[in-house]
Parts: sequence; structure tokens; C-alpha cells
Amino acid sequence: MRDRLRGPWRVAVSERSMAPGILPGDWLLVDPTVGRWPRRGSIVVFREPDGEVLAIKRVAARPGDRVRLDAGFLVLGDDEAWLLSDAPAAELLEQGGGAPVDSRRYGPVTIDCLVGRAWFRYGPVGRVGRLTGR
Amino acid sequence: MSRFRDLVAPKTTVHAHCDLPCGVYDPEQARIEAESCYKIIEKMGANSDPTFTTRAIAIKEQRADLAKHHLDVLWHDYFKPEHLEKVPNLHELFWNATKQVSKVKASSDIADAKKLLDMIDEIDAAWKATGGEEKTRVAGRPS
Repeated sequence: MRDRLRGPWRVAVSERSMAPGILPGDWLLVDPTVGRWPRRGSIVVFREPDGEVLAIKRVAARPGDRVRLDAGFLVLGDDEAWLLSDAPAAELLEQGGGAPVDSRRYGPVTIDCLVGRAWFRYGPVGRVGRLTGR
Repeated sequence: MSRFRDLVAPKTTVHAHCDLPCGVYDPEQARIEAESCYKIIEKMGANSDPTFTTRAIAIKEQRADLAKHHLDVLWHDYFKPEHLEKVPNLHELFWNATKQVSKVKASSDIADAKKLLDMIDEIDAAWKATGGEEKTRVAGRPS
């Protein structure tokens, strides 16, 4: 818990796979004290399982949920979540980006990768407000 | 004001990232790996030394994996749904070619490798028909 209190409590967003809800340059408040995967639709900051990059995505499925894949279902373990980008792949392509990098790439994310739940946008000034679920 | 801004600005950056494709695609990349497989099978036929054969098999499998990777990148990243109008059998082409790579990976029959080259040539024609050469290479394909 002591480690968790170190934060981060505030983060800046880069890149646009969470558009239109969260845009590059947004400043967000993060609650790093969460010890469990928050409810579906929540925005979370986590360390990517296949690297050390701090990423931001939305919880699409929680522990125990079933995730529909091309060939059947995946049942998430009791410490796993399925994290997805908001921006549709076609839109990212139009803007010169590629496929979104999320659970579709690296699979379920375990709880030890969770860094915090992003809950409020405090910048830029025109976009201040609580982050909404889906 | 800027001091206040510095004070409240986050020190940590989080990434909402997606792939950053370089935008360069060419079936030639897959063809060169497939040609390696072809040549290796040819050499295997002319040399019965077991050490040579073992090495040749390992290298051929490696090259076949690379060929499959390059085909997958073309299929998923270069070709778009609108290209299906010009190349209606696009998915079939890739499906058959990637299956053929798997066959070449396990085969020592030169005919299998030749068939793969022919399939990649068909994909090459599809790439050209959809303007791949002008769109994705820096100054077209070197002649």
C-alpha cells in the first residue's frame, strides 16, 4: 500500500487510441490506491505486460468475465482484466496510425500491472470534468 | 501563470498508443525469403551430409517464418477493404499463400517452394493493381 501511495496521482496523456473521450495532452487525476480491477467502463493506467510502458485503456471485461474472440470465448482468470482502446481501428488508420495496442495484442492483463484508475480530467481548461464510464 | 502550470503539470506520461506503421509494403520482401527456401531445398538435394542437412532445415524454417510474417503484414496492414473491389480473391490468395509457407517449412520438395513463389507473384500483381508501388515505396521499386 505504501508503494501505491507514491502514485502517480497525475498523468499526461500522449497519443490518441482513447479518442474521442481522452485526447493527447489531457491531464488526468489518477487514484493509485485501487487494489482491484475497477468496474467495466473505467479508465485505468497500467504497465503493459509485454513491456514497461505505462498505458491507459478502458476496462472492457473484469475477472471471471467471458471475452468473445474470433474463435470462441476466453474466460478471464480471477486477477485478469481485458483492456481495450476507445478509438475505432479504422479512425486510427485514417489518421496515419496503425492497429490499437491493447488486450487484442497482448491478451489479458493481470492485477499486478494495474497502476491506478483515472477518474478526473483537470486540463486543458475547456475539457475539465469527471471521466465517464461506458 | 506558467509557474502555476509547471506546479500542477503531471510528471508522468501515459500512452494511449497504437502501432506506428512506416507505410512501406512490398511483396518482394516475402519473395526474397521464399526464394531462400527454394534455394536451400535445391542445395539440400545436392548435399547428403547430415550436418549440412540439419543446418539447412533450421535455416529454411527460419526463412519460411519470415516469409509468413511479411505476408501477414501485407495482408493486415497494406491491403484495405476497398482493395477487394479490384482483387476480389484477395483473402483467398493470402490464405493459400500462408498455408503454402507452412507446407514449404516442413517440405523438402522443390515443387512446393516453386508453388509458393508463384503465389507470391499473384500477390505482387494484386499489390501493383492497387497502386502499391507508387503508394508505398519511396521512389517506386528499384529497377
